[in-house]
Amino acid sequence: MNGSFSTRMLRTIAAWVVVAVFFFPIYYWTSVAFKHGNDIFNRPPKLFAFTPTFDNFQKVFGISLGSGGITVTPGGGNFYMAPRVWDSIVIATLSTLLAVVIATLAAYALSRMNFRGRHSFVGWVLSTRMMPPVAVAVPMFFIYKNFGLIDTYTGMVLIHALMNLPLAVLLMKSFFDDIPSEIDESAIVDGASRFMIFRRIVLPMAKGGIAATAVLCFIFSWTEFLFALTLTTTSLKTVPVVSSTFVTSIGTAWGNMAALGAASIIPAFIFILLVQKHLVRGLTMGSLKQ
Amino acid sequence: MRVAQARRFVISDHPLPWLAPLVAILLVFTVYPLIYNIWLSFHEFVPRRRALEFVGTENWVQLGNDTRFWQSLVITFTYFAIALVFELVLGMAIALLLDSDGFGFGFLRGVLTMTLVIPPAIVGMMYLLMEDPQFGVISYLLQSIGLLNPNNPILATASTALAGVLVAEIWQWTPFMVLIFLAGLRALPPEPYEAAMIDGASSFQIFRRITLPMMSKVIAIAVLVRGIDLFRVFDYVFVMTSGGPGASTYSLSLYAWQQTFSFVKWGYGATLSLVTLVIILVIANVFIRIAKVRW
Repeated sequence: MNGSFSTRMLRTIAAWVVVAVFFFPIYYWTSVAFKHGNDIFNRPPKLFAFTPTFDNFQKVFGISLGSGGITVTPGGGNFYMAPRVWDSIVIATLSTLLAVVIATLAAYALSRMNFRGRHSFVGWVLSTRMMPPVAVAVPMFFIYKNFGLIDTYTGMVLIHALMNLPLAVLLMKSFFDDIPSEIDESAIVDGASRFMIFRRIVLPMAKGGIAATAVLCFIFSWTEFLFALTLTTTSLKTVPVVSSTFVTSIGTAWGNMAALGAASIIPAFIFILLVQKHLVRGLTMGSLKQ
Repeated sequence: MRVAQARRFVISDHPLPWLAPLVAILLVFTVYPLIYNIWLSFHEFVPRRRALEFVGTENWVQLGNDTRFWQSLVITFTYFAIALVFELVLGMAIALLLDSDGFGFGFLRGVLTMTLVIPPAIVGMMYLLMEDPQFGVISYLLQSIGLLNPNNPILATASTALAGVLVAEIWQWTPFMVLIFLAGLRALPPEPYEAAMIDGASSFQIFRRITLPMMSKVIAIAVLVRGIDLFRVFDYVFVMTSGGPGASTYSLSLYAWQQTFSFVKWGYGATLSLVTLVIILVIANVFIRIAKVRW
Protein backbone atom coordinates (compact mmCIF):
# COMPACT_ATOMS: atom_id res chain seq x y z
CA MET A 1 0.00 0.00 0.00
CA ASN A 2 2.32 2.73 1.21
CA GLY A 3 5.78 1.29 0.64
CA SER A 4 8.49 2.89 -1.44
CA PHE A 5 8.48 2.52 -5.22
CA SER A 6 11.14 -0.21 -5.15
CA THR A 7 9.26 -2.39 -2.61
CA ARG A 8 6.12 -2.00 -4.69
CA MET A 9 8.04 -3.07 -7.79
CA LEU A 10 9.54 -6.01 -5.94
CA ARG A 11 6.13 -7.10 -4.75
CA THR A 12 4.64 -6.86 -8.24
CA ILE A 13 7.48 -8.90 -9.70
CA ALA A 14 7.18 -11.53 -6.97
CA ALA A 15 3.44 -11.77 -7.51
CA TRP A 16 3.83 -12.30 -11.25
CA VAL A 17 6.53 -14.92 -10.73
CA VAL A 18 4.43 -16.88 -8.23
CA VAL A 19 1.35 -16.85 -10.42
CA ALA A 20 3.46 -17.79 -13.45
CA VAL A 21 4.71 -20.85 -11.56
CA PHE A 22 1.11 -21.85 -10.84
CA PHE A 23 0.06 -21.16 -14.40
CA PHE A 24 2.93 -23.10 -15.93
CA PRO A 25 1.34 -26.61 -15.72
CA ILE A 26 -1.79 -25.28 -17.43
CA TYR A 27 0.31 -23.71 -20.19
CA TYR A 28 2.35 -26.87 -20.58
CA TRP A 29 -0.74 -29.10 -20.73
CA THR A 30 -2.37 -26.82 -23.29
CA SER A 31 0.83 -26.80 -25.36
CA VAL A 32 0.79 -30.61 -25.37
CA ALA A 33 -2.72 -30.45 -26.84
CA PHE A 34 -1.29 -28.52 -29.80
CA LYS A 35 1.78 -30.72 -30.29
CA HIS A 36 2.61 -33.52 -32.68
CA GLY A 37 3.59 -36.79 -31.02
CA ASN A 38 7.34 -36.39 -31.60
CA ASP A 39 7.27 -32.94 -29.99
CA ILE A 40 5.57 -34.34 -26.89
CA PHE A 41 8.15 -37.11 -26.52
CA ASN A 42 11.11 -34.82 -27.06
CA ARG A 43 13.89 -34.59 -24.52
CA PRO A 44 14.50 -31.92 -23.29
CA PRO A 45 10.77 -31.08 -23.21
CA LYS A 46 9.77 -28.51 -25.82
CA LEU A 47 8.13 -25.55 -24.13
CA PHE A 48 7.78 -22.96 -26.87
CA ALA A 49 9.52 -24.07 -30.06
CA PHE A 50 7.14 -26.51 -31.68
CA THR A 51 4.90 -26.53 -34.74
CA PRO A 52 1.33 -26.25 -33.50
CA THR A 53 -1.27 -28.68 -34.83
CA PHE A 54 -5.00 -29.15 -34.45
CA ASP A 55 -4.75 -32.92 -34.97
CA ASN A 56 -5.44 -33.75 -31.35
CA PHE A 57 -8.57 -31.63 -31.21
CA GLN A 58 -9.75 -33.09 -34.50
CA LYS A 59 -9.39 -36.64 -33.24
CA VAL A 60 -11.03 -35.95 -29.92
CA PHE A 61 -13.92 -33.80 -31.08
CA GLY A 62 -14.27 -35.01 -34.64
CA ILE A 63 -14.21 -31.48 -35.97
CA SER A 64 -12.42 -31.22 -39.24
CA LEU A 65 -10.16 -28.20 -39.45
CA GLY A 66 -8.70 -28.51 -42.90
CA SER A 67 -7.98 -32.16 -43.61
CA GLY A 68 -8.54 -34.94 -41.13
CA GLY A 69 -11.72 -35.61 -39.21
CA ILE A 70 -12.42 -38.58 -37.00
CA THR A 71 -9.42 -40.79 -37.20
CA VAL A 72 -7.83 -43.64 -35.32
CA THR A 73 -4.73 -42.68 -33.39
CA PRO A 74 -1.45 -44.60 -33.41
CA GLY A 75 -2.25 -45.52 -29.80
CA GLY A 76 -4.67 -48.07 -31.18
CA GLY A 77 -8.01 -46.76 -29.91
CA ASN A 78 -10.67 -44.51 -31.30
CA PHE A 79 -10.50 -41.39 -29.18
CA TYR A 80 -13.57 -39.59 -30.49
CA MET A 81 -14.83 -37.99 -27.30
CA ALA A 82 -17.61 -35.58 -28.30
CA PRO A 83 -20.35 -37.90 -26.92
CA ARG A 84 -18.54 -38.10 -23.59
CA VAL A 85 -18.45 -34.30 -23.38
CA TRP A 86 -22.18 -34.33 -24.06
CA ASP A 87 -22.70 -36.88 -21.26
CA SER A 88 -20.79 -34.62 -18.89
CA ILE A 89 -22.82 -31.58 -19.89
CA VAL A 90 -26.16 -33.37 -19.48
CA ILE A 91 -25.26 -34.82 -16.09
CA ALA A 92 -23.79 -31.59 -14.75
CA THR A 93 -26.71 -29.47 -15.97
CA LEU A 94 -29.52 -31.70 -14.75
CA SER A 95 -27.91 -32.51 -11.40
CA THR A 96 -27.30 -28.80 -10.85
CA LEU A 97 -30.92 -28.03 -11.61
CA LEU A 98 -32.15 -30.71 -9.23
CA ALA A 99 -29.78 -29.75 -6.44
CA VAL A 100 -30.52 -26.04 -6.70
CA VAL A 101 -34.31 -26.49 -6.68
CA ILE A 102 -34.32 -28.82 -3.68
CA ALA A 103 -31.69 -26.79 -1.83
CA THR A 104 -33.42 -23.47 -2.40
CA LEU A 105 -36.69 -24.75 -0.91
CA ALA A 106 -34.96 -26.28 2.09
CA ALA A 107 -32.65 -23.31 2.62
CA TYR A 108 -35.60 -20.93 2.69
CA ALA A 109 -37.23 -22.94 5.49
CA LEU A 110 -33.92 -23.16 7.38
CA SER A 111 -33.39 -19.43 7.04
CA ARG A 112 -36.90 -18.19 7.81
CA MET A 113 -38.90 -20.68 9.84
CA ASN A 114 -38.37 -21.38 13.50
CA PHE A 115 -38.81 -25.00 14.38
CA ARG A 116 -37.42 -27.37 16.94
CA GLY A 117 -34.18 -29.06 15.91
CA ARG A 118 -33.38 -26.54 13.20
CA HIS A 119 -29.80 -26.22 14.38
CA SER A 120 -29.20 -29.96 14.51
CA PHE A 121 -30.82 -30.30 11.10
CA VAL A 122 -28.21 -27.93 9.66
CA GLY A 123 -25.57 -30.02 11.45
CA TRP A 124 -26.93 -33.16 9.84
CA VAL A 125 -26.81 -31.60 6.38
CA LEU A 126 -23.23 -30.54 7.02
CA SER A 127 -22.27 -34.01 8.22
CA THR A 128 -23.50 -35.57 4.99
CA ARG A 129 -20.89 -33.41 3.27
CA MET A 130 -18.26 -35.31 5.25
CA MET A 131 -19.23 -38.74 3.94
CA PRO A 132 -16.36 -40.16 1.92
CA PRO A 133 -17.66 -40.81 -1.62
CA VAL A 134 -16.38 -44.36 -1.42
CA ALA A 135 -18.73 -45.06 1.51
CA VAL A 136 -21.66 -43.97 -0.66
CA ALA A 137 -20.45 -45.38 -3.97
CA VAL A 138 -19.98 -48.95 -2.77
CA PRO A 139 -23.55 -49.49 -1.55
CA MET A 140 -25.01 -47.37 -4.34
CA PHE A 141 -23.32 -49.61 -6.88
CA PHE A 142 -25.30 -52.62 -5.64
CA ILE A 143 -28.52 -50.63 -5.33
CA TYR A 144 -28.10 -49.14 -8.81
CA LYS A 145 -27.44 -52.59 -10.20
CA ASN A 146 -30.72 -53.86 -8.77
CA PHE A 147 -32.67 -50.93 -10.15
CA GLY A 148 -30.89 -50.84 -13.50
CA LEU A 149 -29.50 -47.37 -12.85
CA ILE A 150 -25.90 -48.14 -13.78
CA ASP A 151 -24.91 -46.30 -16.96
CA THR A 152 -27.98 -44.06 -16.90
CA TYR A 153 -28.34 -40.30 -16.80
CA THR A 154 -30.92 -40.69 -14.00
CA GLY A 155 -28.46 -42.50 -11.76
CA MET A 156 -25.61 -40.07 -12.33
CA VAL A 157 -27.87 -37.00 -12.01
CA LEU A 158 -29.25 -38.26 -8.69
CA ILE A 159 -25.86 -39.06 -7.18
CA HIS A 160 -24.28 -35.78 -8.29
CA ALA A 161 -27.28 -33.83 -7.01
CA LEU A 162 -26.90 -35.58 -3.67
CA MET A 163 -23.19 -34.82 -3.60
CA ASN A 164 -23.89 -31.11 -4.13
CA LEU A 165 -26.90 -30.79 -1.82
CA PRO A 166 -25.08 -30.04 1.45
CA LEU A 167 -23.07 -27.28 -0.21
CA ALA A 168 -26.11 -25.89 -2.03
CA VAL A 169 -28.32 -25.88 1.08
CA LEU A 170 -25.77 -24.18 3.32
CA LEU A 171 -24.81 -21.70 0.63
CA MET A 172 -28.39 -20.76 -0.24
CA LYS A 173 -29.20 -20.45 3.46
CA SER A 174 -26.40 -17.92 3.83
CA PHE A 175 -27.76 -15.92 0.89
CA PHE A 176 -31.31 -15.97 2.29
CA ASP A 177 -29.96 -14.92 5.70
CA ASP A 178 -28.63 -11.78 4.00
CA ILE A 179 -32.13 -10.72 2.95
CA PRO A 180 -33.84 -8.96 5.86
CA SER A 181 -36.76 -10.99 7.16
CA GLU A 182 -38.77 -7.79 7.67
CA ILE A 183 -39.55 -8.00 3.97
CA ASP A 184 -41.23 -11.39 4.48
CA GLU A 185 -43.04 -10.20 7.57
CA SER A 186 -44.55 -7.13 5.96
CA ALA A 187 -45.70 -9.27 3.04
CA ILE A 188 -47.35 -11.71 5.45
CA VAL A 189 -49.19 -8.81 7.04
CA ASP A 190 -50.41 -7.94 3.56
CA GLY A 191 -51.85 -11.43 3.29
CA ALA A 192 -49.31 -13.11 1.06
CA SER A 193 -48.69 -16.83 1.50
CA ARG A 194 -45.26 -18.19 2.29
CA PHE A 195 -44.82 -19.65 -1.14
CA MET A 196 -45.86 -16.40 -2.78
CA ILE A 197 -43.28 -14.47 -0.73
CA PHE A 198 -40.68 -17.04 -1.62
CA ARG A 199 -41.41 -16.96 -5.32
CA ARG A 200 -42.21 -13.29 -5.87
CA ILE A 201 -39.95 -11.54 -3.36
CA VAL A 202 -37.15 -13.67 -1.92
CA LEU A 203 -36.16 -15.64 -5.01
CA PRO A 204 -35.68 -12.58 -7.24
CA MET A 205 -33.62 -10.95 -4.51
CA ALA A 206 -31.39 -14.01 -4.22
CA LYS A 207 -30.74 -14.30 -7.96
CA GLY A 208 -26.99 -13.70 -7.66
CA GLY A 209 -26.72 -16.29 -4.91
CA ILE A 210 -28.64 -18.87 -6.90
CA ALA A 211 -26.36 -18.30 -9.89
CA ALA A 212 -23.26 -18.74 -7.73
CA THR A 213 -24.66 -21.92 -6.18
CA ALA A 214 -25.53 -23.30 -9.60
CA VAL A 215 -22.06 -22.61 -10.99
CA LEU A 216 -20.36 -24.36 -8.10
CA CYS A 217 -22.69 -27.36 -8.34
CA PHE A 218 -22.01 -27.53 -12.07
CA ILE A 219 -18.24 -27.44 -11.58
CA PHE A 220 -18.25 -30.06 -8.83
CA SER A 221 -20.33 -32.37 -11.00
CA TRP A 222 -18.13 -31.61 -14.02
CA THR A 223 -14.97 -32.54 -12.10
CA GLU A 224 -16.32 -35.44 -10.05
CA PHE A 225 -14.50 -38.74 -10.52
CA LEU A 226 -15.26 -41.51 -8.04
CA PHE A 227 -19.03 -41.79 -8.53
CA ALA A 228 -18.72 -41.49 -12.28
CA LEU A 229 -16.02 -44.14 -12.31
CA THR A 230 -18.01 -46.53 -10.16
CA LEU A 231 -21.54 -46.07 -11.46
CA THR A 232 -20.88 -46.06 -15.20
CA THR A 233 -19.37 -48.83 -17.28
CA THR A 234 -19.56 -48.50 -21.03
CA SER A 235 -22.37 -46.56 -22.65
CA LEU A 236 -22.06 -43.49 -20.44
CA LYS A 237 -18.92 -41.80 -19.19
CA THR A 238 -17.91 -38.36 -18.01
CA VAL A 239 -14.84 -36.44 -19.12
CA PRO A 240 -12.69 -37.07 -16.01
CA VAL A 241 -13.33 -40.82 -16.17
CA VAL A 242 -12.75 -41.11 -19.87
CA SER A 243 -9.40 -39.33 -19.54
CA SER A 244 -7.92 -42.41 -17.98
CA THR A 245 -8.87 -44.48 -21.03
CA PHE A 246 -6.23 -42.67 -23.07
CA VAL A 247 -3.70 -44.86 -21.33
CA THR A 248 -3.41 -47.89 -23.59
CA SER A 249 -1.12 -50.88 -23.59
CA ILE A 250 0.88 -49.37 -26.46
CA GLY A 251 1.33 -46.02 -24.75
CA THR A 252 -0.54 -43.00 -23.61
CA ALA A 253 -2.19 -40.69 -26.14
CA TRP A 254 -1.05 -37.59 -24.28
CA GLY A 255 -1.87 -35.17 -27.08
CA ASN A 256 -5.46 -36.34 -27.34
CA MET A 257 -5.90 -36.42 -23.61
CA ALA A 258 -4.50 -32.92 -23.27
CA ALA A 259 -6.84 -31.65 -25.99
CA LEU A 260 -9.84 -33.04 -24.12
CA GLY A 261 -8.53 -31.75 -20.79
CA ALA A 262 -7.73 -28.27 -22.06
CA ALA A 263 -11.09 -27.94 -23.78
CA SER A 264 -12.97 -29.12 -20.69
CA ILE A 265 -11.40 -26.42 -18.52
CA ILE A 266 -12.62 -23.51 -20.63
CA PRO A 267 -16.40 -23.61 -19.93
CA ALA A 268 -15.85 -24.17 -16.21
CA PHE A 269 -13.40 -21.29 -16.03
CA ILE A 270 -15.77 -18.91 -17.81
CA PHE A 271 -18.58 -19.88 -15.44
CA ILE A 272 -16.48 -19.35 -12.35
CA LEU A 273 -15.34 -15.92 -13.52
CA LEU A 274 -19.00 -14.91 -13.85
CA VAL A 275 -19.63 -15.52 -10.16
CA GLN A 276 -16.21 -14.53 -8.82
CA LYS A 277 -17.91 -12.15 -6.38
CA HIS A 278 -19.42 -15.08 -4.47
CA LEU A 279 -16.65 -17.60 -5.06
CA VAL A 280 -15.12 -17.63 -1.58
CA ARG A 281 -18.52 -17.85 0.05
CA GLY A 282 -19.27 -20.81 -2.18
CA LEU A 283 -15.98 -22.58 -1.52
CA THR A 284 -16.54 -22.31 2.23
CA MET A 285 -20.17 -23.47 2.03
CA GLY A 286 -21.55 -20.08 2.94
CA SER A 287 -19.63 -19.55 6.13
CA LEU A 288 -17.40 -16.73 4.86
CA LYS A 289 -18.88 -13.70 3.22
CA GLN A 290 -16.82 -11.56 0.92
CA MET B 1 -61.82 -30.92 0.83
CA ARG B 2 -58.74 -33.11 1.22
CA VAL B 3 -57.06 -31.34 -1.64
CA ALA B 4 -57.79 -27.95 -0.13
CA GLN B 5 -56.39 -29.10 3.20
CA ALA B 6 -53.25 -30.44 1.58
CA ARG B 7 -52.90 -27.22 -0.35
CA ARG B 8 -53.21 -25.16 2.79
CA PHE B 9 -50.55 -27.29 4.48
CA VAL B 10 -48.17 -26.90 1.59
CA ILE B 11 -48.38 -23.12 1.65
CA SER B 12 -48.45 -22.89 5.46
CA ASP B 13 -45.62 -21.96 7.80
CA HIS B 14 -44.81 -25.57 8.49
CA PRO B 15 -41.23 -26.39 7.37
CA LEU B 16 -42.05 -29.97 6.37
CA PRO B 17 -43.11 -29.40 2.75
CA TRP B 18 -40.03 -27.25 2.22
CA LEU B 19 -37.64 -29.77 3.67
CA ALA B 20 -39.31 -32.95 2.45
CA PRO B 21 -37.47 -33.27 -0.91
CA LEU B 22 -34.11 -32.68 0.78
CA VAL B 23 -34.82 -35.14 3.57
CA ALA B 24 -36.02 -37.76 1.08
CA ILE B 25 -32.90 -37.60 -1.05
CA LEU B 26 -30.56 -37.49 1.95
CA LEU B 27 -32.28 -40.49 3.51
CA VAL B 28 -32.12 -42.52 0.32
CA PHE B 29 -28.55 -41.61 -0.58
CA THR B 30 -26.81 -41.33 2.79
CA VAL B 31 -28.76 -43.10 5.53
CA TYR B 32 -29.65 -46.10 3.40
CA PRO B 33 -26.08 -46.63 2.12
CA LEU B 34 -24.87 -46.29 5.69
CA ILE B 35 -27.19 -49.03 6.91
CA TYR B 36 -26.39 -51.16 3.88
CA ASN B 37 -22.65 -50.70 4.53
CA ILE B 38 -23.04 -51.77 8.14
CA TRP B 39 -25.02 -54.82 7.05
CA LEU B 40 -22.47 -55.58 4.34
CA SER B 41 -19.58 -55.34 6.80
CA PHE B 42 -20.91 -58.47 8.54
CA HIS B 43 -21.07 -60.38 5.28
CA GLU B 44 -18.63 -61.43 2.62
CA PHE B 45 -18.96 -62.44 -1.00
CA VAL B 46 -18.08 -66.08 -1.53
CA PRO B 47 -17.06 -66.46 -5.18
CA ARG B 48 -17.51 -70.23 -5.27
CA ARG B 49 -21.18 -69.93 -4.26
CA ARG B 50 -21.65 -66.55 -5.97
CA ALA B 51 -23.42 -65.25 -2.91
CA LEU B 52 -23.03 -63.08 0.15
CA GLU B 53 -22.65 -65.03 3.36
CA PHE B 54 -22.88 -63.96 6.96
CA VAL B 55 -19.40 -63.94 8.48
CA GLY B 56 -20.08 -62.28 11.83
CA THR B 57 -17.36 -59.90 12.96
CA GLU B 58 -14.71 -61.49 10.75
CA ASN B 59 -14.23 -58.36 8.64
CA TRP B 60 -13.81 -56.20 11.71
CA VAL B 61 -11.32 -58.61 13.26
CA GLN B 62 -9.44 -58.70 9.97
CA LEU B 63 -8.91 -54.93 10.21
CA GLY B 64 -6.64 -55.41 13.21
CA ASN B 65 -4.40 -57.92 11.44
CA ASP B 66 -4.36 -56.23 8.05
CA THR B 67 -1.01 -54.46 7.74
CA ARG B 68 -2.14 -52.94 4.42
CA PHE B 69 -4.99 -51.23 6.26
CA TRP B 70 -2.71 -49.74 8.94
CA GLN B 71 -0.28 -48.72 6.24
CA SER B 72 -3.03 -46.95 4.29
CA LEU B 73 -4.18 -45.25 7.48
CA VAL B 74 -0.66 -43.90 8.04
CA ILE B 75 -0.37 -42.86 4.39
CA THR B 76 -3.74 -41.06 4.51
CA PHE B 77 -2.77 -39.16 7.66
CA THR B 78 0.64 -38.30 6.22
CA TYR B 79 -0.92 -37.06 3.02
CA PHE B 80 -3.50 -35.09 4.99
CA ALA B 81 -0.93 -33.44 7.27
CA ILE B 82 1.70 -32.59 4.66
CA ALA B 83 -0.84 -31.24 2.15
CA LEU B 84 -2.62 -29.19 4.79
CA VAL B 85 0.56 -27.59 6.14
CA PHE B 86 1.89 -26.75 2.67
CA GLU B 87 -1.44 -25.41 1.45
CA LEU B 88 -1.93 -23.29 4.58
CA VAL B 89 1.57 -21.81 4.66
CA LEU B 90 1.89 -21.27 0.91
CA GLY B 91 -1.70 -20.07 0.73
CA MET B 92 -1.14 -17.49 3.45
CA ALA B 93 2.15 -16.30 1.99
CA ILE B 94 0.69 -15.89 -1.50
CA ALA B 95 -2.45 -14.25 -0.12
CA LEU B 96 -0.32 -11.66 1.72
CA LEU B 97 1.65 -11.11 -1.47
CA LEU B 98 -1.44 -10.65 -3.63
CA ASP B 99 -3.32 -8.50 -1.10
CA SER B 100 -2.77 -5.32 -3.06
CA ASP B 101 -4.80 -3.00 -5.23
CA GLY B 102 -1.85 -2.47 -7.56
CA PHE B 103 -2.16 -2.76 -11.32
CA GLY B 104 -2.66 -6.35 -12.53
CA PHE B 105 -3.30 -7.93 -9.15
CA GLY B 106 -6.96 -8.61 -9.92
CA PHE B 107 -5.88 -10.40 -13.07
CA LEU B 108 -3.36 -12.50 -11.13
CA ARG B 109 -6.05 -13.53 -8.63
CA GLY B 110 -8.28 -14.58 -11.55
CA VAL B 111 -5.51 -16.69 -13.08
CA LEU B 112 -5.00 -18.53 -9.79
CA THR B 113 -8.70 -19.49 -9.81
CA MET B 114 -8.08 -21.63 -12.89
CA THR B 115 -6.57 -24.56 -11.02
CA LEU B 116 -9.81 -25.03 -9.08
CA VAL B 117 -11.98 -25.86 -12.09
CA ILE B 118 -9.81 -28.64 -13.52
CA PRO B 119 -11.05 -32.14 -12.69
CA PRO B 120 -8.58 -33.63 -10.16
CA ALA B 121 -8.38 -36.76 -12.31
CA ILE B 122 -7.10 -34.63 -15.19
CA VAL B 123 -4.68 -32.81 -12.87
CA GLY B 124 -3.40 -36.27 -11.96
CA MET B 125 -2.84 -36.94 -15.66
CA MET B 126 -1.07 -33.60 -16.11
CA TYR B 127 1.40 -34.43 -13.38
CA LEU B 128 1.74 -38.00 -14.59
CA LEU B 129 3.06 -36.55 -17.84
CA MET B 130 5.20 -33.88 -16.20
CA GLU B 131 6.74 -36.42 -13.83
CA ASP B 132 7.44 -38.96 -16.56
CA PRO B 133 11.09 -40.02 -16.21
CA GLN B 134 11.89 -39.67 -19.92
CA PHE B 135 10.04 -36.65 -21.26
CA GLY B 136 8.37 -35.10 -18.21
CA VAL B 137 9.28 -31.49 -17.65
CA ILE B 138 9.48 -31.73 -13.83
CA SER B 139 11.62 -34.86 -13.96
CA TYR B 140 13.87 -33.27 -16.56
CA LEU B 141 14.34 -30.17 -14.41
CA LEU B 142 15.13 -32.16 -11.27
CA GLN B 143 17.47 -34.49 -13.16
CA SER B 144 19.39 -31.67 -14.78
CA ILE B 145 20.08 -29.97 -11.45
CA GLY B 146 21.07 -33.33 -10.00
CA LEU B 147 18.25 -33.69 -7.50
CA LEU B 148 16.78 -36.73 -9.14
CA ASN B 149 18.45 -39.93 -10.24
CA PRO B 150 17.21 -40.78 -13.77
CA ASN B 151 17.02 -44.44 -12.71
CA ASN B 152 14.43 -43.63 -10.04
CA PRO B 153 11.25 -42.36 -11.68
CA ILE B 154 9.38 -40.15 -9.21
CA LEU B 155 6.12 -42.09 -9.24
CA ALA B 156 7.65 -45.54 -9.51
CA THR B 157 9.98 -45.19 -6.53
CA ALA B 158 8.45 -45.97 -3.16
CA SER B 159 10.23 -43.16 -1.33
CA THR B 160 9.18 -40.38 -3.74
CA ALA B 161 5.81 -41.53 -5.09
CA LEU B 162 3.75 -39.88 -2.36
CA ALA B 163 5.66 -36.63 -2.82
CA GLY B 164 4.94 -36.84 -6.55
CA VAL B 165 1.22 -37.11 -5.84
CA LEU B 166 1.35 -34.37 -3.21
CA VAL B 167 2.83 -31.94 -5.74
CA ALA B 168 -0.34 -32.26 -7.84
CA GLU B 169 -2.55 -31.91 -4.78
CA ILE B 170 -0.73 -28.86 -3.42
CA TRP B 171 -0.59 -27.22 -6.85
CA GLN B 172 -4.33 -27.55 -7.34
CA TRP B 173 -5.52 -26.53 -3.89
CA THR B 174 -3.11 -23.86 -2.68
CA PRO B 175 -5.06 -21.30 -4.76
CA PHE B 176 -8.18 -22.41 -2.86
CA MET B 177 -6.49 -21.26 0.36
CA VAL B 178 -5.19 -18.11 -1.32
CA LEU B 179 -8.68 -17.02 -2.38
CA ILE B 180 -10.18 -17.70 1.05
CA PHE B 181 -7.36 -15.95 2.90
CA LEU B 182 -7.46 -13.00 0.52
CA ALA B 183 -11.15 -12.52 1.27
CA GLY B 184 -10.34 -12.72 4.96
CA LEU B 185 -7.47 -10.23 4.71
CA ARG B 186 -9.58 -7.75 2.79
CA ALA B 187 -12.28 -7.83 5.48
CA LEU B 188 -9.89 -6.96 8.31
CA PRO B 189 -10.46 -3.58 10.00
CA PRO B 190 -7.62 -1.05 9.46
CA GLU B 191 -7.53 0.38 13.02
CA PRO B 192 -5.32 -2.25 14.72
CA TYR B 193 -2.79 -1.86 11.90
CA GLU B 194 -2.69 1.89 12.26
CA ALA B 195 -2.14 1.55 16.02
CA ALA B 196 0.65 -0.99 15.48
CA MET B 197 2.36 1.28 12.94
CA ILE B 198 2.36 4.12 15.44
CA ASP B 199 3.86 1.79 18.06
CA GLY B 200 6.58 0.92 15.56
CA ALA B 201 5.84 -2.82 15.34
CA SER B 202 7.76 -4.83 12.73
CA SER B 203 5.80 -6.40 9.90
CA PHE B 204 6.41 -9.89 11.32
CA GLN B 205 5.08 -8.75 14.70
CA ILE B 206 2.05 -7.26 13.00
CA PHE B 207 1.39 -10.52 11.17
CA ARG B 208 1.95 -12.65 14.27
CA ARG B 209 0.01 -10.49 16.76
CA ILE B 210 -2.71 -8.91 14.64
CA THR B 211 -3.30 -10.64 11.32
CA LEU B 212 -3.11 -14.26 12.51
CA PRO B 213 -5.43 -13.87 15.52
CA MET B 214 -7.97 -11.90 13.50
CA MET B 215 -7.83 -14.49 10.72
CA SER B 216 -8.31 -17.46 13.05
CA LYS B 217 -11.94 -18.03 12.10
CA VAL B 218 -11.15 -17.88 8.40
CA ILE B 219 -8.23 -20.28 8.84
CA ALA B 220 -10.38 -22.68 10.86
CA ILE B 221 -13.01 -22.83 8.13
CA ALA B 222 -10.40 -23.31 5.40
CA VAL B 223 -8.81 -26.15 7.40
CA LEU B 224 -12.19 -27.82 7.93
CA VAL B 225 -13.38 -27.64 4.31
CA ARG B 226 -10.04 -28.66 2.83
CA GLY B 227 -9.30 -31.21 5.56
CA ILE B 228 -12.48 -33.16 4.85
CA ASP B 229 -11.52 -33.50 1.19
CA LEU B 230 -7.90 -34.32 1.94
CA PHE B 231 -8.87 -37.23 4.10
CA ARG B 232 -10.99 -38.74 1.34
CA VAL B 233 -8.26 -38.45 -1.31
CA PHE B 234 -8.90 -40.83 -4.18
CA ASP B 235 -8.64 -39.23 -7.63
CA TYR B 236 -4.93 -38.35 -7.64
CA VAL B 237 -3.70 -41.67 -6.29
CA PHE B 238 -6.06 -43.68 -8.49
CA VAL B 239 -4.91 -41.94 -11.65
CA MET B 240 -1.23 -41.43 -10.88
CA THR B 241 -0.10 -44.52 -9.00
CA SER B 242 -3.07 -46.83 -8.26
CA GLY B 243 -1.64 -47.08 -4.77
CA GLY B 244 1.81 -48.22 -5.86
CA PRO B 245 4.64 -48.81 -6.04
CA GLY B 246 4.15 -51.51 -3.47
CA ALA B 247 1.60 -49.90 -1.20
CA SER B 248 3.37 -46.59 -0.80
CA THR B 249 0.47 -44.39 -1.95
CA TYR B 250 -2.59 -46.38 -0.83
CA SER B 251 -5.11 -43.98 0.64
CA LEU B 252 -7.97 -45.36 2.73
CA SER B 253 -10.54 -44.48 0.07
CA LEU B 254 -8.52 -46.17 -2.66
CA TYR B 255 -7.91 -49.26 -0.54
CA ALA B 256 -11.63 -49.56 0.26
CA TRP B 257 -12.56 -49.05 -3.40
CA GLN B 258 -10.08 -51.64 -4.63
CA GLN B 259 -11.16 -54.22 -2.08
CA THR B 260 -14.72 -53.90 -3.38
CA PHE B 261 -14.24 -53.50 -7.10
CA SER B 262 -10.88 -55.10 -7.89
CA PHE B 263 -10.75 -57.94 -5.36
CA VAL B 264 -14.52 -58.56 -4.97
CA LYS B 265 -14.21 -58.31 -1.20
CA TRP B 266 -17.53 -56.55 -0.83
CA GLY B 267 -17.86 -56.99 2.90
CA TYR B 268 -14.30 -55.95 3.69
CA GLY B 269 -14.54 -52.99 1.31
CA ALA B 270 -17.68 -51.83 3.12
CA THR B 271 -15.92 -52.22 6.46
CA LEU B 272 -13.01 -50.09 5.26
CA SER B 273 -15.28 -47.37 3.89
CA LEU B 274 -17.13 -47.30 7.23
CA VAL B 275 -13.85 -46.84 9.05
CA THR B 276 -12.97 -43.94 6.73
CA LEU B 277 -16.36 -42.38 7.39
CA VAL B 278 -16.11 -42.71 11.17
CA ILE B 279 -12.60 -41.21 11.28
CA ILE B 280 -13.68 -38.20 9.22
CA LEU B 281 -16.84 -37.63 11.27
CA VAL B 282 -14.99 -37.84 14.58
CA ILE B 283 -12.07 -35.60 13.58
CA ALA B 284 -14.30 -33.04 11.85
CA ASN B 285 -16.75 -32.81 14.73
CA VAL B 286 -14.02 -32.52 17.35
CA PHE B 287 -12.47 -29.79 15.22
CA ILE B 288 -15.79 -27.97 14.86
CA ARG B 289 -16.20 -28.03 18.67
CA ILE B 290 -12.66 -26.84 19.41
CA ALA B 291 -12.50 -24.17 16.72
CA LYS B 292 -16.12 -23.14 17.35
CA VAL B 293 -16.95 -23.11 13.65
CA ARG B 294 -20.61 -22.34 13.08
CA TRP B 295 -22.88 -22.48 10.08
